[in-house]
Amino acid sequence: MRMIDEHPILEYRHGQRVKFSFDGREMEGYEGEPIAMALHANGVRIYRETPEMKRPRGFFCAIGKCSSCFMVVDGVPNVRTCVTPLTAGMNVQTQRGKGTVALEEA
Amino acid sequence: MKTTDILVIGGGAAGLSAAAEAASAGAKVTILESDLQLGGQLIKQTHKFFGSKDEYAGTRGYKIADILLEEIRAAGDRVEVHTNTTVTGYYREDGTITAMRGEEEYFRVQAKKVVVATGAQERLIPFPNNDLPGVYGAGAVQTLMNVYGVLPGKRVLMVGAGNIGLIVSYQLMQAGVDVAAVVEAMPKIGGYWVHAAKIRRLGVPIYLQHSIKEAYGKDVIEGATIQEVDNTCSGIGNEKRIDCDIICMAVGLSPTTELCWQAGCAMQYVPQLCGYVPKRDRTMRTSHPDLWIAGDASGIEEASAAMVEGRIAGLNAAASLGLPVKAEGMKEYWQRLDHLRAGEVGEKIRSGIGQVLVDTWEGK
Amino acid sequence: MHQRTADVIIVGGGVHGCAGAYELAKAGVKVALFEANYLSSGGSGRSAAGIRQHFGTEVNCRLAQYNVQCFTHLEEELGAELPLDYAQWGYMWVAYTDSCLDQLKKNVDLQNSLGTPSVIMTPGEVKAKWPYLRLDGIIGAAFCHQDGHINPQTMTIAYGRQAERLGATVKTHSPVERLLASGDKITGVVVNGEEWHADKVVLTAGPWSTPLAATVGVELPVSPERHNLLVTEQVEPFQCPMVLCLDDGAYFKQCPNGSFFLGRDDAGEPKTTESGNSWKFLEGVTKSVLSRIPVLSGVRVVRQWSGPYDNTPDHQAIIDWAPVEGLLINCGWSGHGLQFGPSGGRLIREMVTGQPTFVDIRRFRLARFAENDLFFEPAYI
Repeated sequence: MRMIDEHPILEYRHGQRVKFSFDGREMEGYEGEPIAMALHANGVRIYRETPEMKRPRGFFCAIGKCSSCFMVVDGVPNVRTCVTPLTAGMNVQTQRGKGTVALEEA
Repeated sequence: MKTTDILVIGGGAAGLSAAAEAASAGAKVTILESDLQLGGQLIKQTHKFFGSKDEYAGTRGYKIADILLEEIRAAGDRVEVHTNTTVTGYYREDGTITAMRGEEEYFRVQAKKVVVATGAQERLIPFPNNDLPGVYGAGAVQTLMNVYGVLPGKRVLMVGAGNIGLIVSYQLMQAGVDVAAVVEAMPKIGGYWVHAAKIRRLGVPIYLQHSIKEAYGKDVIEGATIQEVDNTCSGIGNEKRIDCDIICMAVGLSPTTELCWQAGCAMQYVPQLCGYVPKRDRTMRTSHPDLWIAGDASGIEEASAAMVEGRIAGLNAAASLGLPVKAEGMKEYWQRLDHLRAGEVGEKIRSGIGQVLVDTWEGK
Repeated sequence: MHQRTADVIIVGGGVHGCAGAYELAKAGVKVALFEANYLSSGGSGRSAAGIRQHFGTEVNCRLAQYNVQCFTHLEEELGAELPLDYAQWGYMWVAYTDSCLDQLKKNVDLQNSLGTPSVIMTPGEVKAKWPYLRLDGIIGAAFCHQDGHINPQTMTIAYGRQAERLGATVKTHSPVERLLASGDKITGVVVNGEEWHADKVVLTAGPWSTPLAATVGVELPVSPERHNLLVTEQVEPFQCPMVLCLDDGAYFKQCPNGSFFLGRDDAGEPKTTESGNSWKFLEGVTKSVLSRIPVLSGVRVVRQWSGPYDNTPDHQAIIDWAPVEGLLINCGWSGHGLQFGPSGGRLIREMVTGQPTFVDIRRFRLARFAENDLFFEPAYI
């Protein structure tokens, strides 16, 4: 985990630790904190691949204004992971290209 | 659909101040904040603010946020707060505002008066591979380490020696991150001397008249080649490779003003305020009779000014509803703003504000 | 000294104006085009850009056929710098009543007789071809697989750029203040505070044609009507055709980049050229369209905008010389002008150079209103 162990000034208040999955791998993060933060703490910095040039992208602004951090979360593409809170059991996937609409209904 | 007296869009320094001021006059206030908690950029600041007692001198930024939040809490159910909620549109024909809570819930708000305190967004400079993971805005780096306690990386190259670049460099070192260097395209440091001295003492080189030629790395940032630049920002050699895993962008902000455009506010491009901003009068009201502006959205400045502007906007929005406000409020707040903007350091801001401050909206 | 003259002045840089400039420049005519804002900034660039051959009158069917043939090679012909995104994923008109389906059948019969490969489909056939469409209550549909989409902005701009390469003068951010006439003959325009002279002036300014024509005493029964549109985020394209639901007038289509346009024919919109968005439109059209294509639930709306229709009393264009000699009118396309751009350009060229028009355009004459001989086109939305 790439967390800051001791800070000279700040004391961090985290919520509950929960399990979630990223591309099929089980990980842990703090419930209610942005998905991107949990991923970063787990050493994951590449969130998606761009549609045309297949460039790797991570986050940039971290306040929900730039669209760099989009990922597929629980099947929904283009989720702003820097401002979307993590919940237990969440399924987070690297987004490759554009989202897909499921044409066959369950 | 929700209704409220005063809708405050953005719960950062300006927004919280506006909400607290309006609530203290008896207004029913609703704050819509797109992040997961209130406090905006304040909660990321570990350094002690300076200025006067009014500007919380000696208090660290994140503690100032706590003070504002306490004021909001004390107003009880007069202030309704919605986080994880993004305003998506201002419909000019009847002033309806649409918003999204999270990914799923869409709703409308009808407010008698609106304060837009939407802050700003990070800029980026162009260089090859500037889109690789690891190129982060300064605010993003602060969010990682100061809000969520996540280590941003091992070694950072900071771009920009304005106050943000200098302060965040120091905050990175407080968090245990190595700052390889600071590059600044201008021939002098843009931030306060005291911030620059702090990081110099800790051995961080500041390369003036330098910029990034290109970044390198396979899937993530692994480093950058910096170069000396002339006064047109063109490279003139003296290249150095700097290995790092984060390139932090502190190259300026742009005011977030989409809602003002949608509302039909009179806008003007002001270089000193870093972009398009709405014209406003001394009450911080825009050309739209129901819309006030405060904080970085009114022009890039800093937190202390944002809080005072927020007070002015909140006070006047409440007054426009006929609510009783502090008699000397305007005088006191403008004194504080003028003080913050005084001297050589405030010249740029004064010149910027002067281009968009109108005496009256009569006949306009 | 700068001679501010041209053989022809074109007022309005939408698709008809730009196509006209291109056609005339290609024919060696000295053209000057003036656009108030940027090319395509009026109705053209804001259009839902649906291309259809579904019409119920012969002249419209013939023009539509011609345009579809043009679109196929237009990008190359114009040396377009930006792609025109031409796609033929089809366009379907969906009927909910017997009388509506009867009319669609008549329209398709006419189209087939002219060689257009359109068909009438049963609800079962529609369901089989596009299982993700939930068109409950439909009794049939008219469909043409050759119909589709083109990028309205890049097409208009490509026409303008090619016209310039061929010698036309194209000036943007140059609003024409008024037309100039001497007696009952057009002499030019006033633009950017200067007079420009020409023997022929072509008015292709959409709803703004009316006040401009009035400056030389020509009354045009063309009035604006605002229409909203919205676009969603891009998803992987699945070639969803354009679908027009004739019960409430809602329509949707997928663009080649995967995003969806949603719109609705709404007579309640204000009669203005001013831009403006309606939250009632946002809520109404998303509800209506989602009920027909529920797989789009969860796809996000990215942007909403508006553009002006230029309506005539019979919702058909005016393509005719005005009572003032030398003034050619081409406007009033009432919401279906974009797809007629190529033919509009050709007709402008033919009329200006005195050639016979390639189709009989009598039905589009200006005098039809005074003569009470309105041009009713049954396939109008």
